[in-house]
Amino acid sequence: MSEVVMKFENLTKKYGNFTAVNEINLEVRRGEIIGLVGPNGAGKTTTIKMMAKILRPNSGRILIRTNHSELEDLQKVSSTITQIGFLIDIPSFYNMTAYQLLRYFANLQNYPKDQIDERINELITLFKLTEWKHEKVKTFSKGMVQKLGMIQAIIHDPEIVILDEPQTGLDPLARVEIRRYIRKLQSQGKTIFIASHMLYEISEVCDKIALINYGSIIGFDTVENLALVLKTSEINCVLLNPLNPSELETLLNRLSEKLNSYLDQNLDPLISKIPIKYYPEQQGLKIFYDGRNESKGEILKILIKDFESDFTVISFTQPKTSQLERVYAEMVKENNSNNGDV
Amino acid sequence: MEKRTYSLTAIKPVLYTVVFELKKQKKKFYFFLAITILIGFLLGYILQLIPSSLLADTQTEFFNTGLQFISFITLFAACLFFSGIICSEFNKKTGAIVFPKINKYKLIVGKYLGNLILVMAIITVYYFLLGILGFYYYAGPISPKLFYSYGIALLYVIALSSFVTFFSSFMRSVNITIISTLIILLMGFSIVDQIVVLIFAGDFEPLYSLSYLGSLITGILNTPFPDPRYVEFTFGGEGGGFGPGGHFTFGQWITPSIGMGITLLVVNIVVFFILAAFLFKRRQL
Repeated sequence: MSEVVMKFENLTKKYGNFTAVNEINLEVRRGEIIGLVGPNGAGKTTTIKMMAKILRPNSGRILIRTNHSELEDLQKVSSTITQIGFLIDIPSFYNMTAYQLLRYFANLQNYPKDQIDERINELITLFKLTEWKHEKVKTFSKGMVQKLGMIQAIIHDPEIVILDEPQTGLDPLARVEIRRYIRKLQSQGKTIFIASHMLYEISEVCDKIALINYGSIIGFDTVENLALVLKTSEINCVLLNPLNPSELETLLNRLSEKLNSYLDQNLDPLISKIPIKYYPEQQGLKIFYDGRNESKGEILKILIKDFESDFTVISFTQPKTSQLERVYAEMVKENNSNNGDV
Repeated sequence: MEKRTYSLTAIKPVLYTVVFELKKQKKKFYFFLAITILIGFLLGYILQLIPSSLLADTQTEFFNTGLQFISFITLFAACLFFSGIICSEFNKKTGAIVFPKINKYKLIVGKYLGNLILVMAIITVYYFLLGILGFYYYAGPISPKLFYSYGIALLYVIALSSFVTFFSSFMRSVNITIISTLIILLMGFSIVDQIVVLIFAGDFEPLYSLSYLGSLITGILNTPFPDPRYVEFTFGGEGGGFGPGGHFTFGQWITPSIGMGITLLVVNIVVFFILAAFLFKRRQL
């Protein structure tokens, strides 16, 4: 297991009587992509601002490994941490050209002087801003500003990249590019921390998810393990041929009977009233099961063996996004009820 | 993890910030420079049209007249260059990008020095023009008093800059900072000075007032240096007191002493800048 590069210990931030971040405890290991997911106002940006030393915690601390030594208290690290790159909130820049800004930022973070131009060109090309290199930021679209925000976070090739809503304002293609780039950063051994409420984006790139609500971490694990805690998950099966509508009800009953011991017994009626549903347009079955890994294998075995004459399964997948959505909804709901919300 | 961080004492980030600030404020600088040069040329052109008898008798008096503009240029330049120096980082949220990259003390020092270079350059150009005109009209060597005045003017503009920076450190918006500092510097100090003179007459010198300290810029040109520095003007008739037949006495402090003026300008520079830097460090985005 890789070493811990960042650690939160009872991190708390209050604004008057309002607790924005409440005793957060987290460990981030080298090379991991961690997603911080939560609704608006949950405390994501506040947490990131404390990591950037823009806000001071009221209590608790953030420990950081600045080199291969011991973890150090971030507040006691005398100078700025150039090993971390930040994109905080919707970025706002001085009205200068992209090149002037990036050069200044790279200089501030002590990036080798003779390599700055090369680095700027590399990133500006990667993010398709080449034609805008010498244009002032006020002429940029929202998406371009966001891309520039992303570039400034990584211009100095930091070991840890912290991104707050990196997909905001980006078109679908740019989102794909960003996701790809995040994966590339991970393959280079970088540690990445992403805060977002876009579950799809998070589930696509993150190794682990920290769910935050009312300033508290209500779950921190892989999507699969979080689902396991709730003993609920779903499987999508695509079938080779459509099912016969006249036999559908009987078939679903048989399926329920055979798979009963593996199905989600506490299924939220808001999600689905029955644990097995057929979608004619997609020619697929959605099965809400208990989330255990063994159950998944058993279900596949039964579908193939016992229903061989009824249909042929051509795809058997666990959709991460909807799974995360469900986990998220469940955990937030539970947390809200604990906090007295209706 | 490779450590590439600057040490706390490294001055490179300050220098980068100074250069960046010079580029950032380029337009504002050219605008002020154009106005300054325009005033200088107008002064030269208009004076050529005026019969020579109306031209000041001596070069020093000519400088004294010309320098009446300098306090306004200085004041407006300081307000417009420095009012956004801190509060815009919070108001426009540019701080979220830049604060993680540079120590806040270094950032404020760099921004302060960058803007100061530009404001000082504007003052220098104005003095240069005035010197050229003085040399042209009076066909003689430039009085060394102009250089003393230039030194005081530079100190004064630094003090004003620190004062405006201090306001910027706790104000919310750039516009409010500009308006409030202009009101205080243009009217606030003058009004308080008048009240103080009315109450204490010559017993209390308004050394707290930046406007009064600024009067040393022209005061130093006087030959001899004013002594006493507090004067009273009497208007009206023979009788005492106000009303018909009475007279009205108006007192005025002309200029602080050179030593005290310089000392207090330096104190203002240091105190306001330290306060501004401290508040900036504490302020959260």
